[in-house]
Amino acid sequence: MPEAVQTTPGAGKPLPIAPKPFAPEDEVSLREALKRCSPSTFEAAIQFRKTGNAEHVGAVVIGVIERFVEPDLRVKLKDADDDIRLVEDLGIDSLTMMEIVILVEDVLQLTINNDELRNLRTVGDVKTFIDCKIRGLPLPKPTKFLPIEHIGSVMPIQPPFLFLNEASVSSTAANGKYKITGQEFFLQGHFKDNPVMPASIMLEALGQLAVLFLLEGAPTEQGKVIGAHTIFFTGCEGVRAHRICRPGDILTLSIKPKRMKSPLATFEGSIRVGQEKAVIAEEITLTFLYVEAAEQSAPVHGNVPAPVESPAVAPPLRVAMNA
Amino acid sequence: MPRVFITGLGFITSIGNDAETVSRNLRDLRHGFELFPPFQKPDIPCKVVGTIKGFFTDSTDPEDWTWPSRYTIKRETIRSMGPNVLYAHCAMMQAVADAKLTEADISDPQVGLYAASAGSPYLLHYHHERLVKAGVMRCSPLGIVSSIVGTLNFNLVASFKIQGASCGFSSACASSAHAMGFAYDDIILGRQKRMFVVGAEDGNTDAILPFAGMRTLSLQGDPDLASRPFDAGRDGFVGTGGGAVVVLESEDEVARRGVRPYAEFLGWGQGSDGYNLAISHPDGNGLKLAMERAFAATGIAPGEIDYVNAHATSTLIGDVSEARALRSVFTEASSRLAVSSTKALTGHGLSLAGAMETGFCALAMRDGYTPGSAHISTVDPLCEGIPILRETRVGGPSIAMKNSSGFGGANVALLFRRP
Repeated sequence: MPEAVQTTPGAGKPLPIAPKPFAPEDEVSLREALKRCSPSTFEAAIQFRKTGNAEHVGAVVIGVIERFVEPDLRVKLKDADDDIRLVEDLGIDSLTMMEIVILVEDVLQLTINNDELRNLRTVGDVKTFIDCKIRGLPLPKPTKFLPIEHIGSVMPIQPPFLFLNEASVSSTAANGKYKITGQEFFLQGHFKDNPVMPASIMLEALGQLAVLFLLEGAPTEQGKVIGAHTIFFTGCEGVRAHRICRPGDILTLSIKPKRMKSPLATFEGSIRVGQEKAVIAEEITLTFLYVEAAEQSAPVHGNVPAPVESPAVAPPLRVAMNA
Repeated sequence: MPRVFITGLGFITSIGNDAETVSRNLRDLRHGFELFPPFQKPDIPCKVVGTIKGFFTDSTDPEDWTWPSRYTIKRETIRSMGPNVLYAHCAMMQAVADAKLTEADISDPQVGLYAASAGSPYLLHYHHERLVKAGVMRCSPLGIVSSIVGTLNFNLVASFKIQGASCGFSSACASSAHAMGFAYDDIILGRQKRMFVVGAEDGNTDAILPFAGMRTLSLQGDPDLASRPFDAGRDGFVGTGGGAVVVLESEDEVARRGVRPYAEFLGWGQGSDGYNLAISHPDGNGLKLAMERAFAATGIAPGEIDYVNAHATSTLIGDVSEARALRSVFTEASSRLAVSSTKALTGHGLSLAGAMETGFCALAMRDGYTPGSAHISTVDPLCEGIPILRETRVGGPSIAMKNSSGFGGANVALLFRRP
């Protein structure tokens, strides 16, 4: 297919899509293909096919997914954010995924390879993936599930000040878990005979997850990486603690980038314990720098404390990212 | 010796979509034939089909289909079906309710499902055409599983969460009778305590019309005359589709659940003609062997049989072969022996026939009548010498035989007793 996007890594400038002129018979077949989708899906598809404007792609993709989700689960899709999971939340199995792919391919006139599908876990993954294909951008990195060994090997922060047990990182978000063991050294004093996880440490844990995102998930330019030792805290806004967290609680942490332009990356973050909201941070901002990939070849080793580097301007509320 | 019983039935047939309607039409000898709209063209010589009412499956997209509102079927279940699977799924739901089975009674390692259908030639054709025209990667991921032979068991085993034995049988028109026989064996051998036996066919143009090339279809344009097994004027069979389900259970299960069975399944026999791939042996040798083996296996004497539900499809050669086989086996027949072919009412259900007609025998036993062989004005002289029942007789059979024959000269005889 001439419309197919060249996505081979390192292939240089991606090829933009040159849509075929949209003929009346195309509208008929498009209407037939989307007959079980909402009218707005059809409208978005028509707009995309006529103009090639990638803004309409999200609506088409969501409309097609909705059409394949059992009616009683569709409400979830309406209210949900991009984190809603295809398999676990929407009941989409791999065969349904293929049905979705074939219809999307047909409607948007593109070709999706099997190996590109394996990494699509959430609605957001699908949207981003299709968007990249349409715009001819490099495909996002797949969601990675990182065990503690991996986290320890890449993070500049090390025990006893590392507050992540496991994490998953995609190009659009990161999620992690930390179990408060009760053995944390600071709980001896915070508080006397009453161990409570300090809110500042919980903010620190969110910041650590954001560091992990920058190192493992954030999109970078060809040949560049974000330097592990260039990341520091600069500020935060709208931080609220909603729940006292104690030994035995499992913190479920999530962060999502809101803005990212070197040297600043701003995230929103939240911590839950089970279904209960524990901490909300409207904004956490970190600084970072791109370095040549070769410079960062040696990973940080688990037991070697990372060298301390002070940022040029010490922020007022300094959460010691690299301490 | 363990015993096996029929405890549940389900029907989507040309003569009714539930056991009560089917039984009434069998008793009253009302057929299910219509002039089939797709056949009303000058270049199609056959005109009549035993049609399935209340369903619309005339689309290659299962989401276009409609079915009676009493059946709730989700998109994820319907999407992988051929029409035959939809019919069987509905029949399965009936059989489950009829046998009063709970989910735990169905999804159990001791419970299996044997199925028989020719798949869906209609969808197979569509998907293959799409492969050729739209390209390999534009084919539905469900094209294979919805259309090939086996689609019936693939779908039902998944939908009903069957855990025990499951497979499909393909001996053409003897398929679901074979499925009955081997399901019986599994229960007798203690491998399973309950088996679902399912037969189904699409019964649409693509399923029926290829038989026209063999010159085996009736060319009669009158629905009242098209299917008349054993009649001198018969000119071929009338095709039909639908789905039928028979629930078989061990004696222990029947006792444990306290259900009243329709009939006891006494045993079965099979034999092959070793003669021709499509034409039955002129003397019905394979069928004779099958019946003799059924008698030997059950210890029942031919003289004890009072009803034979014949395979007789209304073809010229097949009906005569069966009549000859029956004559050679029933030399000392009971005065109450009656032979009829209910295909005069339903048409020939191909893979579906054995299970559907087993269901008819069970209904006749429960409801107390013996269905006649309809549409006969003059018995073919070559079929004389067997007691063909022309009108429905009051009083159900106490021991009945169900014959089935398929391509390749495969023959099966099943024996049932009123409990």
